[in-house]
Amino acid sequence: MSSKGLFASIFVLLLLVVAANSLFIIKETERGVLLKFGEVVDENLKPGLHAKIPLVHKVRKFEARVLTLDYNPQSYLTQDKKPLIVDSFVKWRIKDVSKYYTATSGEEISASRLLASRVDDGLRRQFAQRTVHEVISGQRDELMQDLTKSLNQVVLADIGVELLDIRVKGIELPERVNEDVYKRMRSERNREAREYRSRGRELAEGIRADADRRQIIIKANAYRDAEKLRGEGDAQAAKIYAEAFNKDREFYSFVRSLKAYSETFKSEGDVMILDSDSDFFKYLGTPNAK
Amino acid sequence: MAWNEPGGNNQDPWGGRRGNDGPPDLDQVIKKAMDKMGGLFGSKPPAGNSGGGFGPIVVIALIIGVLAALYDSVNIIDQREQAVVLRLGKYYETLGPGLQFKLPLIDTLIKENVTRVQSKSLKSKMLTEDENIVDVAISVQYVISDVKDYVLNVRDPQSSLVQAAESALRHEVGSSEMHFVLTEGRESLASEVHARTQKYLDSYGIGLTVSKVNLEGAHAPEEVQDAFLDVTKAREDEVRLRNEAETYANGIIPEARGQAQRQLEEANAYKEQVVAQAIGEASRFEQLLVEYQRSPEVTRERMYIDAVQGVLAKTPKVLMDVEGGNNMMYLPLDKIVGNRVSDSVSESGGQHLTASDLDKVTRQVMDEIRQRQPSIRRTREAR
Repeated sequence: MSSKGLFASIFVLLLLVVAANSLFIIKETERGVLLKFGEVVDENLKPGLHAKIPLVHKVRKFEARVLTLDYNPQSYLTQDKKPLIVDSFVKWRIKDVSKYYTATSGEEISASRLLASRVDDGLRRQFAQRTVHEVISGQRDELMQDLTKSLNQVVLADIGVELLDIRVKGIELPERVNEDVYKRMRSERNREAREYRSRGRELAEGIRADADRRQIIIKANAYRDAEKLRGEGDAQAAKIYAEAFNKDREFYSFVRSLKAYSETFKSEGDVMILDSDSDFFKYLGTPNAK
Repeated sequence: MAWNEPGGNNQDPWGGRRGNDGPPDLDQVIKKAMDKMGGLFGSKPPAGNSGGGFGPIVVIALIIGVLAALYDSVNIIDQREQAVVLRLGKYYETLGPGLQFKLPLIDTLIKENVTRVQSKSLKSKMLTEDENIVDVAISVQYVISDVKDYVLNVRDPQSSLVQAAESALRHEVGSSEMHFVLTEGRESLASEVHARTQKYLDSYGIGLTVSKVNLEGAHAPEEVQDAFLDVTKAREDEVRLRNEAETYANGIIPEARGQAQRQLEEANAYKEQVVAQAIGEASRFEQLLVEYQRSPEVTRERMYIDAVQGVLAKTPKVLMDVEGGNNMMYLPLDKIVGNRVSDSVSESGGQHLTASDLDKVTRQVMDEIRQRQPSIRRTREAR
């Protein structure tokens, strides 16, 4: 009884061990290869529960999801020999599992390294064919598509990997070039500011000059009109005087002289030295003169 | 199923639940197990309830196992969540909100909040098309739109989102000119980034939907900020200068118009004045003339005497009665006139009496005297 019990117990344990070694789960996010004595027998194990023969078969599981290779910014030279610091990332996925396994022995790090060197190489080539301007602006998409397409065939054949996307996150100028860019930007802004100010002065000067001109014209016109009026007045007055005085010129000169005398010797300061012989004094000495 | 083939219920870790429909069966199982334990250590007869310390431990362990399995299989999924169920590692179904069951150990359940809008912020310097550098900050808001894709397709979806957004942003800024990015392009830039990010994400099958991209700030880098500010100030200066000039213009032109008006009015006044004066004087002369023509002698005499009287009455005078006087006369004219010349000029106002006029008059008077002296002598001799 006791030996039977012992046997049963050992049997149960053995079963457990065998079961644990012969059953495995491939998750939805994984792909697996089944190896028989190191040789690939099933290169694409679908998700789910699978069985294998312990010791004979071995299972390697790989990531089936999209992976990201985000490596450090690299410096590339463009066609116009300008250095650019490029920060890029690669989206990739394991496509050919057995190829991947043989090429990288299933290690993601070594796959990344292989991939990185190829992408790096490809980017360097692509950048060398383009100018800075082309790289920065319009041709980014084109550049990436070219690169993705050309690299895809290579990496799929070589390491069983599919490239979904190569994207440039950042294209920077080296720090010392940045300084130059800042200087240029500053000078551009200065130019613009200067232009605004000068334009302001130009406008202001124009407005002032225009105002001055209008002022002078207004004054000149006013002077013209005023003189015309004065002239008219003078002419009219002269005509009136002439008409009246021409009626008796001798009498006019008499009247006018008398008026002039009285106007002339109006002030008390005037001193007159008179001879008593004058007509005015004719009766002063002799009442019966003449 | 392959799993169930090799062993009986005992080998299945979750088999306990399957066999246990009620307490009686549980008792049997425990009893059986205790029998086995007893057999295993081989010393005691099977029927005995003297299972040593092992019996209760096994019972407790089994109960805990069953409870844990029950607990594991019942899941409450919140209204905001969805859950992906993997059965033996393979995608099985997606569960909505509510009380949901799964098979313990066989099923794996991954819950994700699918209604919460998540946000990521990015901020960095980048090159524009015209090779300027701008500082751009955006925030990307997104939700999980397909929980299955989100869980299964991409490793580390969150950082993938950031990378996609960053790449899209750089692309759009890199294809725009700085002025556009900093000013009117803000709105369209955000929507372009939105569309582009979504396109990248879709190509990964990531199960995320970008709900909104906000451009939080786009400005010139710190290093050149002052130059940019100066441009704004310069624009203000331009307006200010123009306003100042307009102020000047608005000041002087109406003033000039006013002055012109005054000049015209004054000229008009002058005209009216001289004409009126002329009419007056002419009329006065004509009327006098009529009377003069009637009796010329008397009128002439009267007028002359009136006028001379008027003149002499007002002025200091020196009358020279030469007959009773000396041949030599000293007239301190300079003293009499001297200091008064300037006074008389200023007093006489509009009248044209100057020092030279006065001299002339004086000289004439003296000549007259000198001329008459011989005749005086003659008259004396005649006496």
